[in-house]
Amino acid sequence: MNNPFQYWRLCFAAGPVFLLSYFGFWGILGFNVPPLAPSLTAAEMASHFQEHANQMRLGMVGAMTFAPTYMMWGLGITKVMETLEGGNRVLSKLQLWGAGLTVIPIYMCCVFILAGTYRPDTLDPGSIQLLYDMSWLTISICYSVTTMQMIAMGAIFLSDRRKTPLIPKWLCWYSIWGGFMFIAEDIMPFFKHGVFARNGLLNFWVEYSIYFFYMLFVTYYLFKAIARLEQEYKAGTLVFPGNGIAYGLKANA
Amino acid sequence: MPEQQPRGEVPSIWAFITADVLAFALFFVLFMAERGRQVALFDQSSLQLDANLGLLNTLILITSSWLVALGVEAARHGKRLALRRWLLLAMLVGAGFAVTKFIEYSAKIGHGITMLSNDFFMFYFALTGIHFLHFLVGIGVLLMLWMQARDRELSGTFMVWLESGGIYWHMVDLLWIVLFPMLYLLGRSA
Repeated sequence: MNNPFQYWRLCFAAGPVFLLSYFGFWGILGFNVPPLAPSLTAAEMASHFQEHANQMRLGMVGAMTFAPTYMMWGLGITKVMETLEGGNRVLSKLQLWGAGLTVIPIYMCCVFILAGTYRPDTLDPGSIQLLYDMSWLTISICYSVTTMQMIAMGAIFLSDRRKTPLIPKWLCWYSIWGGFMFIAEDIMPFFKHGVFARNGLLNFWVEYSIYFFYMLFVTYYLFKAIARLEQEYKAGTLVFPGNGIAYGLKANA
Repeated sequence: MPEQQPRGEVPSIWAFITADVLAFALFFVLFMAERGRQVALFDQSSLQLDANLGLLNTLILITSSWLVALGVEAARHGKRLALRRWLLLAMLVGAGFAVTKFIEYSAKIGHGITMLSNDFFMFYFALTGIHFLHFLVGIGVLLMLWMQARDRELSGTFMVWLESGGIYWHMVDLLWIVLFPMLYLLGRSA
């Protein structure tokens, strides 16, 4: 018998895999948690790249290897969203597109740093500084695709009419709020020091923590949601008619 | 006279409001901490703001919030026309905030004052800018509610959304009530 929930858990688990791998490779090995200060001179930046080139190369390569797990996680969210969204499922698709497109800045920011570590002895310091700046401008200012993902997700799960929703309403609003507040990243390119700089309290520690916890909370509730959906499916209150494309709760569910 | 609708579920938007207010609380703490380090600069910069425009914006937002509250009350009594009228008025009055901010920002930029001028103006433009985006979202929400109020049943889901929109609009108002004295008045007390 066809299992409509096949691979869903794998997709959910891809979220923590992404978080851990990105934190370890991009963040720790790549010296991005916290980022190198924008106030560093080009010579200081170049010296750092020369000294830690191999570690940073390993960090960027590792981060890029695991980057697609973010899209897998997004697909898992979309599968749960589809059980709630009838009709043309615009928001479910928007969420998936948002997750998929988020992978692009994730790749690009690694590529820029990797390029800087490739020939750090022959590149001029200004170019190395530029590559590191480009990396951080890419990962921070391309937030709007992730915002799209977060708002689409929050909006759909808010429409859950179950007495106890699959995803709690507070998390739906947290998702919408977190996506909206990414807009503070737009201030980052104007500053090289202070709370709005790329290594500042607001634009790094607060913004990235909001997202870190968002992923953890969502993953936890996705695992809880699938257990409930499986029960509803077994009880016959959740239907996957015909080709498995159309979903929906029966009227009296 | 139509009977008053029973109060429905507590709008879940409170989660959003809580997170947003906490974020702004952090902004306020950071502003005050920085002010503590550069009191003279912050006071001097604050004097360059037009407190009358700040006060006008406070009155605009409070009045607009009051109009939304009247609209919610009208909806609870099933008065569709009154609801739409109050929401429209709230948007029109609220639009004055955008006009005033435009005048204020233009004047500052015209005098060469930008977010990069000093740390006070960094906070001024960043905080009022983020608040202004909240304002724009609020106007969008009011517009959507006004349009939906034309034919939606004034109960159940719509009432939850109406009250949620009202709560959000009050928050925009409340945040400004803190921003106004902190940015415009604190420097004058010295």
